[in-house]
Amino acid sequence: MRQSYTAVIERDVEWQGLVATEPYECGWASEAIFFVRKLASEGDVRGVGLRVQISPDGMHWCDEGTSLVLSTNEVDFCRVRHFGNWLRLQAHLPEGVSLRVLVALALKE
Amino acid sequence: MDDLQRALLRADPRLSRFDPLPRIIVHDDFDEGMHGWSELIGNYEDTLDSMLPEYRDMRPAMLSSATMWDTGTAGSMEGTYALKLATRPRAGHLSANLKRVTWRARGPVRLEAYLAFKPEASELRLSETDVRAVGVLFDIQDEEYRWMPHLRYLNALDGEQVGRWQFKRRREALRDIGGSGKTRSHFHLAPTGWEDVPGGRQILCYNEIATKLNWHYLRVDLDLGARAITHLQCNDRVHRLDGVAPMMIPAMANLWCMFNVLFWVETDTDKRAFLFLDSVLLSGDWEDREA
Repeated sequence: MRQSYTAVIERDVEWQGLVATEPYECGWASEAIFFVRKLASEGDVRGVGLRVQISPDGMHWCDEGTSLVLSTNEVDFCRVRHFGNWLRLQAHLPEGVSLRVLVALALKE
Repeated sequence: MDDLQRALLRADPRLSRFDPLPRIIVHDDFDEGMHGWSELIGNYEDTLDSMLPEYRDMRPAMLSSATMWDTGTAGSMEGTYALKLATRPRAGHLSANLKRVTWRARGPVRLEAYLAFKPEASELRLSETDVRAVGVLFDIQDEEYRWMPHLRYLNALDGEQVGRWQFKRRREALRDIGGSGKTRSHFHLAPTGWEDVPGGRQILCYNEIATKLNWHYLRVDLDLGARAITHLQCNDRVHRLDGVAPMMIPAMANLWCMFNVLFWVETDTDKRAFLFLDSVLLSGDWEDREA
């Protein structure tokens, strides 16, 4: 049976300006889905992109190329594969936009 | 434990480095997965905002291959993956993960683990005082008491090396959560009220730079009948336990037979602190009674 695990990497956290999730080490997994659930939001979040980032060491980061694009839905997601050992989301939220989020990272072997 | 059982344990490479009591309750080797360890969270009602602030962000654990920026993957003590707890990069922040089971008999239990701790290797310096503490606690309830043995290795405090085992019996205030009158919470991991284990000074193997990881053996024995901590051992040192006592609280409404085991790590600087658990074994000694 394939292993799977969901990590809640941010919970009830306020986001505005430059934000990044904590590094999450998950080299055992071959596929991942980031879910961003908006517990509250201010400003127009439609079309705001959160960039998936990967890292060789959990400290130095580069864009993986996938974006999680926010909508007016309660939950938005993006899929990632072939990501090495670390994952995080990073974003620069526009002026006037703030979010209270719960971010889940669903991983599968 | 009879000779045959001992021989079988010693012949199994996965078990021979442990000294379990006759019944193995759980043996969690994190090469196989997360084994049911989960993030500690405080109690809440109606909204997450009702939680005590200290409990809001104790971080999910991860399966780590202990990969370093300079030398690549170190792996775990035996295999590739260890359970890794990581704080945020904020002095005083705690990461805590636990396993929740229930007890079956009020007899002896033994927790053994192979573990290592390090700060994030974000600076090219020794960093040996950047991890403040690592600890283990139990949260147990019987007919009369909720009792909570707390033990920690205080590595450093405010930049000064301490290297001492401590315990905590002082209770923190129980606070009402929400409005139903049914939910209460206390932040028992607060930094106040810790006392030294007598003669509990011990220097562990930090090694010379932040990317070198050495594994340590930890053993804690409890007597569930006597509500006592009966053994604390780290590697070659068995510590005296005179006066070492658990936190005692009158039994609470919905925690009957609870037995939780929790590990945590705390950072002393604005840098992430990591606790790695290679494997954990919980064992006990009991025979079921007739009804």
